[in-house]
Amino acid sequence: MAGIKAESKGRAGKTGLIFFPAFDWAISPTHPEREERLLYTRDQIFEEGLMDLPQIEELKPRLATLKDIARTHFCVPDVESQITEAHLVAAGSTMTLADALENGEIKNGFSLARPPGHHSMMVVHGNRGFCNVNNMAIMVEYFRTKYGHKKIAIVDTDVHHGDGTQDIFWHDPDVLYISFHQDGRTLYPGSGFTNEMGGPQALGRTLNIPLPPGTTDEGIHYVLDNFILPVLKDFKPELVLNSAGQDNHFTDPLANMRFSAQGYASLNEKLAPDICVLEGGYAIETALPYVNTGIIQAMAGLDYSHVKEPDFAPGRFTQSDEMNRSIEDTVDELLDIWKNRDLLMESAQSELGDFYRRRKRIFYDTDMINESQEESVRLCKDCHGYMTIASTAQRGYGILNSAYCVSIPRGACKSCKEDAHEEFEEHKDDRKFNYVCLQDKDRDSYQIYDVRTRNRKSY
Amino acid sequence: MLIGIDVGGTTTDAVLIDGTRIVKISYVPTNHGDLLKCLLNAFDLLMKGVDPKKVERVVLSTTLITNMIAEGKAQPVGLVLIPGPGTNPKDYQLGQEPIVLDGAIDFRGHEIQKLNEDQARMAGRRLSNLGLKKVAVIGKFGQRNHSQEMKAGEIISQIMPDAQIELGHRVTGQLNFPRRAATTLLTAATKDSYREFTEQVARALKERMISAPVYILKADGGTLPLEKSVEMPVETIFSGPAASIMGVLALTPVEQTSVIVDIGGTTTDLALILSGEPLLSSKGARVENLLTHIRAFAVKSVAIGGDSVVNVAQDCVDVGPRRDGAAFCMGGPGPTPTDAMRVLGMTDIGDLALAKKAMGSVASKLRVTLEKAAQMVVDAVVAKIVSEVEQMFLEWEQEPAYRVWEIVENEKLQAQSVVGVGGGAPPLVPLIAKKLGAKSIVPEYAPVANAIGAAVARPTLTLNLRVDTEQGSYSVAEEGLTGKVTGRNMNLEQAEALARKLLAERAERLGIGEQAKEAEVTYSEIFNMVRGWSTVGRLLDVRLEVPAGILEGWRS
Repeated sequence: MAGIKAESKGRAGKTGLIFFPAFDWAISPTHPEREERLLYTRDQIFEEGLMDLPQIEELKPRLATLKDIARTHFCVPDVESQITEAHLVAAGSTMTLADALENGEIKNGFSLARPPGHHSMMVVHGNRGFCNVNNMAIMVEYFRTKYGHKKIAIVDTDVHHGDGTQDIFWHDPDVLYISFHQDGRTLYPGSGFTNEMGGPQALGRTLNIPLPPGTTDEGIHYVLDNFILPVLKDFKPELVLNSAGQDNHFTDPLANMRFSAQGYASLNEKLAPDICVLEGGYAIETALPYVNTGIIQAMAGLDYSHVKEPDFAPGRFTQSDEMNRSIEDTVDELLDIWKNRDLLMESAQSELGDFYRRRKRIFYDTDMINESQEESVRLCKDCHGYMTIASTAQRGYGILNSAYCVSIPRGACKSCKEDAHEEFEEHKDDRKFNYVCLQDKDRDSYQIYDVRTRNRKSY
Repeated sequence: MLIGIDVGGTTTDAVLIDGTRIVKISYVPTNHGDLLKCLLNAFDLLMKGVDPKKVERVVLSTTLITNMIAEGKAQPVGLVLIPGPGTNPKDYQLGQEPIVLDGAIDFRGHEIQKLNEDQARMAGRRLSNLGLKKVAVIGKFGQRNHSQEMKAGEIISQIMPDAQIELGHRVTGQLNFPRRAATTLLTAATKDSYREFTEQVARALKERMISAPVYILKADGGTLPLEKSVEMPVETIFSGPAASIMGVLALTPVEQTSVIVDIGGTTTDLALILSGEPLLSSKGARVENLLTHIRAFAVKSVAIGGDSVVNVAQDCVDVGPRRDGAAFCMGGPGPTPTDAMRVLGMTDIGDLALAKKAMGSVASKLRVTLEKAAQMVVDAVVAKIVSEVEQMFLEWEQEPAYRVWEIVENEKLQAQSVVGVGGGAPPLVPLIAKKLGAKSIVPEYAPVANAIGAAVARPTLTLNLRVDTEQGSYSVAEEGLTGKVTGRNMNLEQAEALARKLLAERAERLGIGEQAKEAEVTYSEIFNMVRGWSTVGRLLDVRLEVPAGILEGWRS
């Protein structure tokens, strides 16, 4: 797939692999996100001797810093209370690969680490969809801050809609977020429809492809060939990243799709992502060992044709004509959106004033938290515009926490910077909120202010 | 009294030790055509005037297996794989084309595809037609369920009744199929010649009235009774470097973190002792082009030594990696580090006038004085070795880890001492130590550290146990042993007790029974297997180890 990326680096060299199964971490003993999840994957990839192959380099992850997390998330009440060390390792894995890629040590990389991240949104009050912090988004922000990358494409191949990643880059025209997933009417988190297209300044930079339950390799590759790859070619990102969930597999216990290990491997061969980051996938014996082997081989340019699940036979799964048509219709609709993205953006902005506002309700399924948000972005002619989020989280019948969050984008104009700081200062005395947070991406500096104690925390 | 004999690349060294005292040393040049003869020559020289009845223990370290493989004298082996799904067998770099049989076992030991017995018969006939006498049969996950390996071996042996057939799960049970295949291949290729050698040694020592037990040193620095070692000949590969490292362990203070620097003519070998324990290579030794499961000390060979070529480019001195011959002061073709050290008075080997001439050419290119040029050469050698040592520590820190606490702890170590062995070491080690901020040690008996190491090394012992309570079975990686367990709720304590019992039995079989009680648990893990939302069983892994160490009598 030469030609997808603006700067085709034509990298030669090894595939960097971080295998971090977190054998001493679980959400709870019988939770799908438990110690055992990557145990059989370990057995398979170690038994295959993949780490010994000259095409593969195994790397040791470093710990992410609290600042790396604060660059992406507003953690309430602070970063420390939303993470465990396991999260720092999983997030650190992605950045270790980012560094290795930039230093030319590797040609591409796979962070096969848990816990996952793509359901974590910009504001974090707790765990939702097994995720606390968004490893992929943290890596993207790191790529931009440390290495100055601008245009980045994330393709989310997990069976669940990556609503967290979508939320974080919703207003960002430089990050293309494409997700295909089982239709939200039939699966958690219940979102990811074609009409979710990004904020008014980034319309068409979020693209969702809901697929009917039972979609096979054929359907997913139809979407890849006829939609995702052509769009990437148009967008010309500097980096292509894959949020590599493995729960589209036909044996996954939490979803209903019919994707195979061969399908996953050839997807990664065609997509040729610079970095893959593991998300979900809970068929720990029947899918993960085979899917992971296939992805690693595809990334390293090895022959993956011998990878086969015990109960898979080519031709086992077929799609009805009706299902084919429905997928084709979705792709046609999305191609229209993509083609007309500039017009859509113009017409959306023409109807708005200086600010775009929306209200959101967010449910944290793991931690049983209900959050309501009021988000506001300035539609600025000179920069991406500063953003504020007023967030209140409830657990049971009491208020858990509330925060007023202010975000200054990279390259913010003078007036946005000034207004954002003013908002931050003003709310320090606002008793409606427990915390006031400032995320200054332009200066790479982050603060949380406790309204009651008047303590300030900086990252 | 203890005897240690190391048949090395250049010389065969022998020492006689009484308690904590080195009583006698002997050495003869090594003749690679007849290793047994030089071993016995060194032995006879050592034993002159010594009462054979006083000898309590003899330990040998030999390059026999290393040489056999390097010189291509190992026997040809037919390679039969049952790879199942995964990597294309062609991507395994095993140095020869395998015969592939259909069949598959998965990571839990379930049979997921039946063995194709017709293919096994065809394989037997093909190998028989090729006139092969050795066959290695290895199945992916054969250590979790060896039924297909056994069946394939049985079918082939019916067709080739005289052939020696090695099964992968009997050789090692560690995860990593290609390494297991390579290790099995090498075992099959060297077993006969090795057995013959051990029988000759045993006979010769008996003729010399030695009734003491005879041991062989393994690559992990442990000793094993000679007659028991015939089942695992490849474990004795690289016993030379292992002997040197054990020697340094014996000759330096306990519990230290040290770098061992063995500087020769062409290469410098580096090894680490971390808090008193020699560092093992993380996955297993590389033998020629084959990656194996053989437990061996991590030795890094750097292409720089006393005879390395000295080049001058743009006012800079570059040393190595080539060697064109001896040092100029020893009649060689060009300037070398040895010439530089001769000029600076750091050594007195070779002809001073020749050394000055060699350094003179370097000095004129650099437009500096003779002494300055020599100093620059020495500095370049020291800098190169120091950077390789630092790299080694870094690589050790960067070893992958799979648990949160291991990443968070991220232990760092620094060398407390630099220990020199080998001919080139004494003048250079103090300089290397200074750069590393460590103490310099060149032990009095450094030249025979290898033989001393062999003499005082104690047995090592490892046992890896895996229990799957859902299936009600256990397996031991080291011998392909399997058995039954009852109850789904075995805990780690119970698994460790089972491992201890099995280790004691294994130690007894290997003739090192007394060692078993010293075993420590070096690794253990337990996983609840959850299907749906309920626990259906447990997977437990326990590793027991008696690491490399020195006989108790030596220290006191």
